[in-house]
Amino acid sequence: MTTTTAAPTTGVPVIGAGVTRVDGPLKVTGAVPYADDLAPRDALVGVLVGATITSGRVELVDTTDALAAPGVVAVLSHHDAPRVVRPDEASSDERAPLPPFQDAVVRFRGDYVAMVVAQTREEALHAADLLHVTYDVDEPVVDINDPRADREDDDPAGADSVRGDLERGLAEAEVEVGADYVTGDNTNNPIGLFAASAEWDGDALHMWATTQWPFNVADCLAEAWGIPREDVRVECPYLGGGFGSGLRPWPYIHAAAMAAKVVDRPVRVVLSRPQMFTGVGHRPETVQRVRLGARRDGTLTAVEHTATIPVAVDDDNPENVVSGTRQGYAVEHLRADVDQVRLHISPPGSMRAPGEAQGNFALETALDELAVELGIDPVELRLRNEAVTNPDQDDLPWSSKALDECLRRGAELIGWDERDPSPRATREGDQLIGYGMAAVSFFYFQEPCTVRVVVRRDGSAAVHCAAMDIGTGTYTIVTQVAAERLGLEVGDVEVVLGDSSLPASPPAGGSGLATAISNAVALATSAVLADLQLSGAPGREALARAVGDRDKVTAEATADKPDPAELGMSPSGAFGAKFAKVRVDADLGLVRVERLVSVIDCGQVLNERTARSQVVGGTVGGIGHALLEHTVTDLHAGPQTGRITNAHLADYLMAVNADVPDLEVEFVGGPDRLNPVGVKGVGEVGLCGVAAAIGNAVFNATGRRIRRLPITPDLLL
Amino acid sequence: MRPFTYTRVDDVATASAAVTTDAVARAVQGPGDTAFIAGGTTQLDLMRDGVWSPDALVDISRLPLNDVELDDGVLVVGASVTMADLARHPEVVRCAVLRDSLLLAASPQLRTMATIGGNVLQRTRCRYYRDPTVTQCNKREPGSGCAAVEGTARTHAVLGVDAGCIALHASDLAVALVALDAQVRLHGPGGRRTIPVTDLHVRADDDPSRDNVLGVGELITHLEIPVPDARSGYLKVRDRASYEFALTSAAVVARVEDGVLAHVGIGLGGVGSVPWRARRAEEVLRGQRASMALFEEAAAAELADAFTVTGTDFKPELARRTLVRQLRDVTEVTA
Repeated sequence: MTTTTAAPTTGVPVIGAGVTRVDGPLKVTGAVPYADDLAPRDALVGVLVGATITSGRVELVDTTDALAAPGVVAVLSHHDAPRVVRPDEASSDERAPLPPFQDAVVRFRGDYVAMVVAQTREEALHAADLLHVTYDVDEPVVDINDPRADREDDDPAGADSVRGDLERGLAEAEVEVGADYVTGDNTNNPIGLFAASAEWDGDALHMWATTQWPFNVADCLAEAWGIPREDVRVECPYLGGGFGSGLRPWPYIHAAAMAAKVVDRPVRVVLSRPQMFTGVGHRPETVQRVRLGARRDGTLTAVEHTATIPVAVDDDNPENVVSGTRQGYAVEHLRADVDQVRLHISPPGSMRAPGEAQGNFALETALDELAVELGIDPVELRLRNEAVTNPDQDDLPWSSKALDECLRRGAELIGWDERDPSPRATREGDQLIGYGMAAVSFFYFQEPCTVRVVVRRDGSAAVHCAAMDIGTGTYTIVTQVAAERLGLEVGDVEVVLGDSSLPASPPAGGSGLATAISNAVALATSAVLADLQLSGAPGREALARAVGDRDKVTAEATADKPDPAELGMSPSGAFGAKFAKVRVDADLGLVRVERLVSVIDCGQVLNERTARSQVVGGTVGGIGHALLEHTVTDLHAGPQTGRITNAHLADYLMAVNADVPDLEVEFVGGPDRLNPVGVKGVGEVGLCGVAAAIGNAVFNATGRRIRRLPITPDLLL
Repeated sequence: MRPFTYTRVDDVATASAAVTTDAVARAVQGPGDTAFIAGGTTQLDLMRDGVWSPDALVDISRLPLNDVELDDGVLVVGASVTMADLARHPEVVRCAVLRDSLLLAASPQLRTMATIGGNVLQRTRCRYYRDPTVTQCNKREPGSGCAAVEGTARTHAVLGVDAGCIALHASDLAVALVALDAQVRLHGPGGRRTIPVTDLHVRADDDPSRDNVLGVGELITHLEIPVPDARSGYLKVRDRASYEFALTSAAVVARVEDGVLAHVGIGLGGVGSVPWRARRAEEVLRGQRASMALFEEAAAAELADAFTVTGTDFKPELARRTLVRQLRDVTEVTA
């Protein structure tokens, strides 16, 4: 079943239909104003210079030659850059990334040691080559397995959990499987290079910066500079891709603000591609161990999932590798634990389905191994252990869950019954054929969101929110929800986003924005209709009449984070089932995905076109995660230790069209009970589970169990 | 990127005279050097990466070297012909090894920019070479060592290399050219000469700091590619299905008469510091009765002396399998 029907409480059926993107024409004509397009035209250009050592201290940044070069206006370094306060992230008390140039310490290779400000980018780049930086070098620790590294098991991510008694669960098991799984570093690599421009007016700061969360960037800048929040404005109306890398206020944003302060002119900074590998986060590698205990009938008796992740020096990055395991299956005895190892690496950050993607690969591969061991069909194994209530939240009933339907429909679509469960049993010429699957129970995330709705004298409306559309379709779904609630045509609603001076929003991340903002729009439209003494979806004429002689009528409303205990249910994230059919060259080890089926329960589908696009895009990322993407750090002792060896789009392999078959996507389930609009986020569930489904299909094709990502031909020879 | 001057020339003699150093042959171009630029797909990357910093560029993309002609069974290709244009030529379309080595290379955008002369002279993709912050690189700084040998080296070479340098020559086309016995016509201040493609490049185990044998002011004007009276094919093995350099590749040109290999030419890609002519394998095969066992023997002979490091240790086996597969597919001998 595909949920294209509108929720019963709504009027005009705009929701669910495949309304085309309201920003589509701007995108395809190249007229979209990205943050860097909005920079003041007279801005000077800043070029950041990274450390060429991995650990130590900067002794001296000798600027003599650089300052003498043509066009150079200033050089910033720790010697003389403005001092700012390190802010906290708005959503938590976690530390935001360190502002640059505050001390002489080099914490990773590529850590900014200076910035050259010049009239043109070419002049700045040339002068950057003329800087003479001397270092006092320390021995870095960059290998997650290095015993010298500081290991922290203080559960910074709130990931650790113990349920029941693991040993008892294992004792009750008739079958036990256990293995180690390794996933490599990945880099988000949005095609749009991140940019920040800053302009000061006295002590007021105006910035145009690439971000998935303008509100937080403004908060952090105000805290950093000790200036009133209302004197900071951050604009980012559109994003050239983010995939999580725009969630934090990264150092380059501070650098632009510092430089503009120093030279007292607008300054614009654009990162280079190699800097995109070290300056805006990445998906950290993991070393994981999964142990599963089960009875012969497939009932899980014990689950243990432990993970080690790296974090950077003086930084926080909660990577919840085990959240999917904690809530995924009905098992009485469970131990989940994440440890951090502190390394001289560039700060990790969020990358689409952070933690979940790596953790799901380990858990869902282990379940496949268990299914083989038990001789039970992998789909059946998951159905038998379905968590009908949330075992991770006092066994409260889910606000919505259609995972069983995802599994059954996915099996039907791919023709699962025709699969030969014996490994290496199906061959066409040189090609071994295999099928694999994985289930996904994605976490729920929602933060408060405020929206302002304006109804104008002519009956048209505007919606204002600081939130970002990161390419997912936020402009479009906000337009749809507002249009439906007000009874307007899509063309009669103007949506303004991506500006920190607008009402407060959560990040465009954690698959949480669609729920937060659509419900805020619903509340704000209700509020404005109440002000206008209207009900239902009145339509433009009635709205115009009600506004009467006034210019406009405005209402604001905030969608708060629901309280599960009060509601008596556990808030659900999206669920999904992924089914892959692969071909593996028996001699050459080449894996090519022939089919990939995703069946997703994301509650009420607000826009089938953009939701499908989210799942398709996520799946493409999943193929990369499974087979291609790997940020490689040099671990060999010596001067190159800690250097990323493939910080380049020619060498960091992301899936291209030829790697991606036609992707099949279906939505099942119905509106979520938790929120009036009935929506659940769909931004990350598309990526999650793809790697395990492909890896399990590779096993079915070849009989080889690869417990490492990416799965490359050399592992299959 | 250092400031540089740029001039465009319209004839070969002027171009040749404009370049007064041997920068085109060296692995490094620095102050005082003048270098040619045509499509720029290698030259500009290296300048942007800060590896090359010549004082002057001489743009040779407008030289009258844009024709492809068939001359007595030899395809004569002007050096300025783009990869995309050559791939469309009817003779090339009919010659599988040539066509596929072009179409499986790079991306449509790059093939539209990149010229044939530049393609065969393309520089290694070694990321240690391509990052000037890496201090140990015998290509850039003779005697400084090789960071790749003990570093991360999955995409590096295993033939024609030693512990001094394992840089790979990543061209696909050049692999087909050595299998086809192609030659290059050179023009220099001292006159013209024609040499086999197999003599064009310098092996890393001979001298990592030199990439080719071009003299001062010398440039490629044409390729001469004999159209084979044989079946051919190019097999490229890579992680990504498109837009990636080869992990391994095999260019095979072969004619089987009465079950016997009457003609065989083999190039291997992804394994050599130069486009690798598989002479040992050819020797095993030539004049012998084609069989899978013979193919295995030939492939094993070619890779017998491979130099591997952690990260490239899978390559000899993958290269053997790649060659065997392609010998099987071109000859259609499956037993």
